Amino acid sequence: MSKILLIDDEEDNVRVLAMSLRSDDYEVVTAYNGEEGLEVFQKESPDIVLTDIKMPGMDGIEVLGKIKALDPDAEVIIITGHGDIDNAIESLKYGASDFINKPIRDEALSVALGRAEDKLEIKRKLKEYTDNLESRVKAATAELRRQSSFLTKLIRSSNDGIVATDKDLNIVVFNPGAERIFGHARSDVIGKIKMDDLYPSEIEDILENEKARQNIAGEIPWKETMITAKDGTRIPVRFAGTLLYEEKQMMGSVAFFQDLREIKRLEKELLLSERLAAVGQTVAGLAHCIKNILHGFKGGMYLVDIGIKKDNSNKLRDGWKMIKRNITRTSDLAMDLLSYSKEREAEYEECDPNDIADEICELLKDTAQENNVEIIKDFNPSIGEVSMDARATYRALLNLMSNAIDACVFDADTDKNWQVSLKTARENSIVKFEIADNGMGMSDEVKEKLFTSFFSTKGHRGTGLGLLVTRKLVEEHKGKIEVTSQVGKGTAFTIQLPVSET
Amino acid sequence: MSKKVLVVDDDPDVRLFSVNVLEENGYTPIEATDGEEGMKFVKKEKPDLILLDVLMPKESGVRLYRNLKTDAALKKIPVIMLSGIARKSFLRSQKVLTQFGGAEIPEPDAYLEKPVEPEELAKTIKKVIG
Repeated sequence: MSKILLIDDEEDNVRVLAMSLRSDDYEVVTAYNGEEGLEVFQKESPDIVLTDIKMPGMDGIEVLGKIKALDPDAEVIIITGHGDIDNAIESLKYGASDFINKPIRDEALSVALGRAEDKLEIKRKLKEYTDNLESRVKAATAELRRQSSFLTKLIRSSNDGIVATDKDLNIVVFNPGAERIFGHARSDVIGKIKMDDLYPSEIEDILENEKARQNIAGEIPWKETMITAKDGTRIPVRFAGTLLYEEKQMMGSVAFFQDLREIKRLEKELLLSERLAAVGQTVAGLAHCIKNILHGFKGGMYLVDIGIKKDNSNKLRDGWKMIKRNITRTSDLAMDLLSYSKEREAEYEECDPNDIADEICELLKDTAQENNVEIIKDFNPSIGEVSMDARATYRALLNLMSNAIDACVFDADTDKNWQVSLKTARENSIVKFEIADNGMGMSDEVKEKLFTSFFSTKGHRGTGLGLLVTRKLVEEHKGKIEVTSQVGKGTAFTIQLPVSET
Repeated sequence: MSKKVLVVDDDPDVRLFSVNVLEENGYTPIEATDGEEGMKFVKKEKPDLILLDVLMPKESGVRLYRNLKTDAALKKIPVIMLSGIARKSFLRSQKVLTQFGGAEIPEPDAYLEKPVEPEELAKTIKKVIG
């Protein structure tokens, strides 16, 4: 039940009224003048104040004012005598809840108290609700702050550069990852630089396109591009970005950048180490090749020594031949190595491809004959003079024709009539040479290793570089080299060289 | 009767060299030009020693050596490797073959890397078969 403070200078009135109210279960405190009333109010914090209006010293209106100043929520009911209506109305102005007339009738009092209690109840509920609301807002604010701080930390701690803009493409987020990549300090960017000052036009275009397309799903796959950092360095990055929408309204853009410098550096390193490994292999292959040649020289020397010691001209001749053969091998190797390692540009000159082909056939005629191999020339006479690298063509054809003869020499099928053919043809600006043999052919395994350095099936007769050199010469001529082969049936190489009319 | 030595090498110069060293030192040389032919001659001629190259067309020395050493009838024939390939590489390739399910095989009686001096070749042959 509510606590009521009763203030009246007429003690009898106070006593009667207090008794009546207590019998109605109110808790009642009393005072006999305004000043005392205020003291009791402060001490007892009553819910409702009933005060007489006319009192010596501080009157009811003044008490009302003071109490309202202390507690705006206090319900103050003014008790008026007759003729005090004007004062009563004034009291309402100062925030009195109600007024009742003297002599106080129980009915009127209980109605006024009832109203005051209702108001108190409403106020309490309102306060409770307000208090609740405040705490809810506080909790929501704390949660928001927590989330926002979480997101901020998330963005800050990302290794990737994250840059976001508002809908006008002003930069609003620029994390430390972005600082590292772009070289700009966050404070120099936020609100100072627009998107187009920072991004390369390619990225800008992507985002602008997105905007034009109104792409709500808005996903852009990762793309490699270059950005220019503050100091002008071009930095390779992987980029992904999208526009952000809220209820179909664009609210900004976000872009993610990954620094590819380290990856690119590692890629380069890997490439280098692979090349070094290839060089290492080449050196090993080369050493092997040279050891074999040396062995040949030693053998030749040995035979010559025996020949001299025993005055045996056969041994002398054999030894001398062996030395000569190995001198050829040495010079072949040196030539091949030089052609293989030297960067060379094709030297175009006027020549007739058929003349070159004919020269090769003449050169190899004796060797072929010694080994029972027939050389067949099939030259197209209408080719005419063209501009091509005659020396490179000569070397390439010599390599392939020698190989073709070897393929017959190594062939175990001695019943065959071994043939090596050289065919020339021309299709517009392409001159074609086809070198075919019906020798031993190649297995797929051999075909796979055909263009590997120091791979040779000729044992100690090959340098393992010939085809590599041939391919290099053809490629320097912007041409093509192709091979078909069948074990036991033979092999055909085709080279196509682009030429120009003279 | 002089001892028979089979020379297996695809390089005619190497064979010529080895044949002369053998003849000069009183052995009877036989020549084979690749691993396949080598095996044929081993079975036919029953040589007292084999001089074996590693890199050859058809069957390589790595294979032939393995086939010799896993054949009960042939494993006793001593083998001297004579190759441009380093001893280490040859042994490693044998080890790899063993790891891939092949039998454990002994190392060759001697391993000479080309180029080899005639005196050294003769000395080594003598050490192996006398």
